[in-house]
Amino acid sequence: MRRVAIAPRPDWIQQVERLGFAFHTIDGETYWDESAAFAFTLEEIERDIEAPSEVIEQLCFAFIEKALASEQILTQLAIPAQHWDYIRDSWQRGERNLYGRLDLAYDGRGPAKVLEYNADTPTALFESSVVQWDWLEQGMARGVLPRGADQFNSLHERLIAAFQGLREPSPYRLHLTCVEGSAEDKGTVDYLADCAIQAELDVRFSYIEEIGLLADGRFCDGANQPIETLFKLYPWEWMFREQYGAALAGSRCQFIEPPWKALLSNKGLLAYLWEMEPGHPNLLPAFFEGDPRCATLAARHVRKPLYSREGANVTLLERGKVLDSDDGPYGAEGYVLQDAATNLFSEDGKYAVLGSWLVASQPCGLCLREDASPITKNTSRFLPHFIEP
Amino acid sequence: MKRSTQIGLAAAGVLLVATAWSLTGDDSDESLVYNSLGECQSGGQLSLQQCETAFSEATAARLQDAPKYRSQGECEAQYGANGCSTANIGGAQFFIPALAGFMLARGLSGSAQAQPLLPPTTAACPPGSPQPECQQARSSSSGSSGGSGSPYGSSSRSRAYSTTSGRGLTAAFAGGARSASVRTSSVSSRGGFGSIARSFSSHSSS
Repeated sequence: MRRVAIAPRPDWIQQVERLGFAFHTIDGETYWDESAAFAFTLEEIERDIEAPSEVIEQLCFAFIEKALASEQILTQLAIPAQHWDYIRDSWQRGERNLYGRLDLAYDGRGPAKVLEYNADTPTALFESSVVQWDWLEQGMARGVLPRGADQFNSLHERLIAAFQGLREPSPYRLHLTCVEGSAEDKGTVDYLADCAIQAELDVRFSYIEEIGLLADGRFCDGANQPIETLFKLYPWEWMFREQYGAALAGSRCQFIEPPWKALLSNKGLLAYLWEMEPGHPNLLPAFFEGDPRCATLAARHVRKPLYSREGANVTLLERGKVLDSDDGPYGAEGYVLQDAATNLFSEDGKYAVLGSWLVASQPCGLCLREDASPITKNTSRFLPHFIEP
Repeated sequence: MKRSTQIGLAAAGVLLVATAWSLTGDDSDESLVYNSLGECQSGGQLSLQQCETAFSEATAARLQDAPKYRSQGECEAQYGANGCSTANIGGAQFFIPALAGFMLARGLSGSAQAQPLLPPTTAACPPGSPQPECQQARSSSSGSSGGSGSPYGSSSRSRAYSTTSGRGLTAAFAGGARSASVRTSSVSSRGGFGSIARSFSSHSSS
């Protein structure tokens, strides 16, 4: 794994905008950054990223089985008790999942370590699937990347295939939703809608605020059409607690991601995975705050709220002293403490985190985000990668 | 190969095709695929001469190995409308599947012969396959969908092939939105989701 400086395309803005990539610059700051890229060997990709991601996914499934049978675990994960049966049903029915992103610390030396699992509402999808793919093709054509280079990225074709298989019979009608006012979220949902169209689905969109409830218990979109299958880029832990939370079980709606993903997007997962497989090469020691075993953690460790997104409220501590933190609204439900990764890729004061994509639980893509601090936040920049021939 | 073979975006109206891709039927068997001699020559992986050699090898192999039919109808039943052409073999006229592309093993120092790629057979196009090569018998479906006036556009394309031995090779995707009639029911409320996002003004994704 190397970080290599590469001349950006002189017209990169036009090139990425022709793909419909609207959020290459966020709040005036560069988000899509092609002034450098990460180079991997095929062995690094397959041995250190792809294979462990599959192993971790299987471990996560084992955890779900364990959690659904344990009121103690569900309570510690701060899952509202009135939704336990709803989550159990979704798992027992075998409701399929679409995608997720495992965030990994990896520097090319030794095994990748799981930082967290964005299993419910991951973004950075369109730029991973399409924009960096196009960058690679153009880079080879321009001669700035070696001919025969490749990329760990079959996201696009996997997403289309996954949409076809999410519900029987297919094609079916699919609604998609996200909050109003976030270009990044809307861009992600628009891309998934595009994939769903290519999977021949009948695709509708409504903002989450427009969703209504019909007299017969089903949800409906802004045009009052019943929602049978809903992709929601909106966290389960919020849906459980909002007014319509009580209507979920009676809605006869298949959600994507399915309710059982709420158990994986929770940082409590990290403590349970470590408990299930202590010493696993791809895991970092992690415990719930207050657990006496926290005393066994490294002096340098990270405090993460159970519910946190985009690095919000995550704190990096060294012997109790705060080194880095990000403010945010999370934390009321509790915290997990996790050893700080010692293999975070770092160069010139920049830190890179790998995002290993899974579609329908199959590892099939990679993204890298870089930040000036060890906590990857929503200010991080996206850098493309390639596999050396 | 670890990346998608091609990417179509209905909304942006673009279709991106990898300059060359390996076929994952057998991962250890890395191959290059081109749809035409020109594509090979502009692809940059092979020299002009290597491309011409590969192309003529594939052309010859197609004549020799492709299934031969006495009638256009029989051939098109397997390879679709416009999927066949006539060939004069040993003085007799046959209908054989068209040359849709060719592939050759990468890095085998030219010792392996280029293989012809034919249009996909009915076997390579399972029922419901969205690939346009598989839709020759069907009317193409397209249309816009409802929602909040979001005009999700429709058309896109795909590549599927078969080999002379009948193996199917596909680069997935394509299609169009289909409208469906929808029953409505009376609305009892609206806006029961989204309150936490509003109160936090925080990111709901990661």
